Amino acid sequence: MKRNLFTLSIGLLLFLIFGLLLFVFQVRQSEVAVVTTFGKPTRPITEAGRHYKWPWPIQKVYKFDKRIQNFEDRLTEGLTKDSFNLLTSVYVGWQITDPAAFFPKFAGSLNSISEAERKLEERLGNLKSAIVGQHALSDFVSTSDNAASLLGIEHEMLEAIQAQITTNNWGLEVRFLGIKKLQLPESVSKTVFDRMQAERKVLSDTSQSEGEAEAAKIHSEADRKAAVMLSDADSQATQIRAKGEAQAAESLAVFQQDPELAKFIFQLDALKDSLKDHSTLIFDANTPPFGLLHGVSTNLLKK
Amino acid sequence: MDDLPLTPKPLPAPAPPETPLDAGSQALAEALRSSFVIIKFVMLVLVAVFLASGFFTVGPQQQAIILRFGRPVAQGQQALLGPGLHWSFPYPIDEPVIVSISGLQQVQSSVGWYATTREQELAGTEPPVPFGTPMNPVVDGYAITADANIVHVRATLTYHISDPIGYIFDFVNASNAVQNALDDALLYAASRFKIDDLLVRDVLGFKDAVRKRVSELIQERQLGVTVEACDVGSKAPRQLQAAFQSVLDAELRRSKVIAQARGYEIQTTNKAGAEATSRIKLAESERARFVDDISSRAKQFQDLLPKYKENPSLFAEQRLAYTLGNVMTNVQDKIFLPEKPQELRLQLNRPPAKPTTEESP
Repeated sequence: MKRNLFTLSIGLLLFLIFGLLLFVFQVRQSEVAVVTTFGKPTRPITEAGRHYKWPWPIQKVYKFDKRIQNFEDRLTEGLTKDSFNLLTSVYVGWQITDPAAFFPKFAGSLNSISEAERKLEERLGNLKSAIVGQHALSDFVSTSDNAASLLGIEHEMLEAIQAQITTNNWGLEVRFLGIKKLQLPESVSKTVFDRMQAERKVLSDTSQSEGEAEAAKIHSEADRKAAVMLSDADSQATQIRAKGEAQAAESLAVFQQDPELAKFIFQLDALKDSLKDHSTLIFDANTPPFGLLHGVSTNLLKK
Repeated sequence: MDDLPLTPKPLPAPAPPETPLDAGSQALAEALRSSFVIIKFVMLVLVAVFLASGFFTVGPQQQAIILRFGRPVAQGQQALLGPGLHWSFPYPIDEPVIVSISGLQQVQSSVGWYATTREQELAGTEPPVPFGTPMNPVVDGYAITADANIVHVRATLTYHISDPIGYIFDFVNASNAVQNALDDALLYAASRFKIDDLLVRDVLGFKDAVRKRVSELIQERQLGVTVEACDVGSKAPRQLQAAFQSVLDAELRRSKVIAQARGYEIQTTNKAGAEATSRIKLAESERARFVDDISSRAKQFQDLLPKYKENPSLFAEQRLAYTLGNVMTNVQDKIFLPEKPQELRLQLNRPPAKPTTEESP
């Protein structure tokens, strides 16, 4: 009896396993699916988890990767509003959001993802040219924070491609779009190089002349500062001397006792000071005390 | 014979008659019995194989996430299984997803730089590009700056995966999505900087702009990664290396000339400062000397006044004679004219007289 129970359990387990394999399928978190009944899509599945189906050939499950796909289109040339040729290439992150809509349009091809990207590229090429033509070059490259910046243009492109996808009901959604390459045609790059070289020459010359001008300014400023410092010092020195004279004037009261004597003493001091060094004095017999020499023969008289 | 019973012993009940089997039936029964044994064995093997198929190994640089009916069994870092042997329920219940997401990841920008090889770059053997060679948009990558110039830019982003579920299950190739975000950020930042700011004046600002923008994009797109580092490089077009070098040389000359001028400024102001201090000190010493001189004269005056008052004329004569005597001592040339000459000539600044020797005539 025990052996029969064991055999029965094993059989039941196998039955369950085969049943699971036949009637149950799982949709991963990264997938969406469509269940077809006799080839006709009847049930889209966007939620991950355990799902049931009738075994083949009644029902069949088609799974699609719903993760965000990275796609980059080719460089295409467009003319800006101010007549600059620009080459642009964008990348988009897109995903399948409606498998019921995606299945009939793309599942017939060998690689549904590649087919969807091919169609995306076709649409992107047209709308990029249109949007580039609505903007000046300064909208693409600029230091200002105006609304029509590179980010604004990317946003316009995203809205435009999403609108087309929605209109055509491809079952896709473009989650993000960015400009990957922004370049100039080969012939234009040569012109840009010519301009850049001319700019470098101007910058080089400007830098040199500015340096010299700046140096001259610093020189003159230094001289001015030095002159001001010396002038201030002279002014202070004059004030100091004036203070000294004012202090000295306090002693004048002493000399007021006998101005004649004071004058005489001052003159004597002045005489001493003025005849200190390398002086030549010419005097005659009328100059005291040389009056004592009156009548005495001198070397001049000898001659 | 006496011991013989009078009544005969009952005979044992006859065995039920066996169903007569032919050889074919016997063989079939034997085959069925064997088949059941084999089927049971196969069933056991199948169950064992089914259960054993749940074992899987995770390599040293790998991690795994178990999906139960398509959904991760846990969230965040808890969902990750490290290297080693693991078991999960077999498909279609569980499904392990093994991915290489350990440690730090790195992506390099794929736009903005010219065609070169790492070996050439490291060896410094990149071929020179003569001026006038145009850029081939297909081969040579570059960015356009805010002042519509051409510049080469590139970046390397180092990041770690902070949300493995999102990184694996939301993107077909998340590292490619990170690279696209990096390319986008690089192009955007370059379009916001003038070429001289980008290359020389505000290199750090440009790097910050790239990092900020790529972080924003990663956040917006929920890529499930956290930026660790973002190294950014930039270079002028090789066609214009000489022109850019001449500007750098001019900048260096400018800096040199200005530095020299600053040196002159420091020297001049220091010298003037010293001279000014000296003049003030001199004035102060003169003031002190003058005040002292007047004070001493006042004292002298006070001392002489009584003597002067005794006999003013004699005092004056005495002082005059005394002073003249002192003065005459210091006077270098003294010329006495006993009579009033009609003409007197003095040679000023005459050469000093040569010393005469006894041998000279």
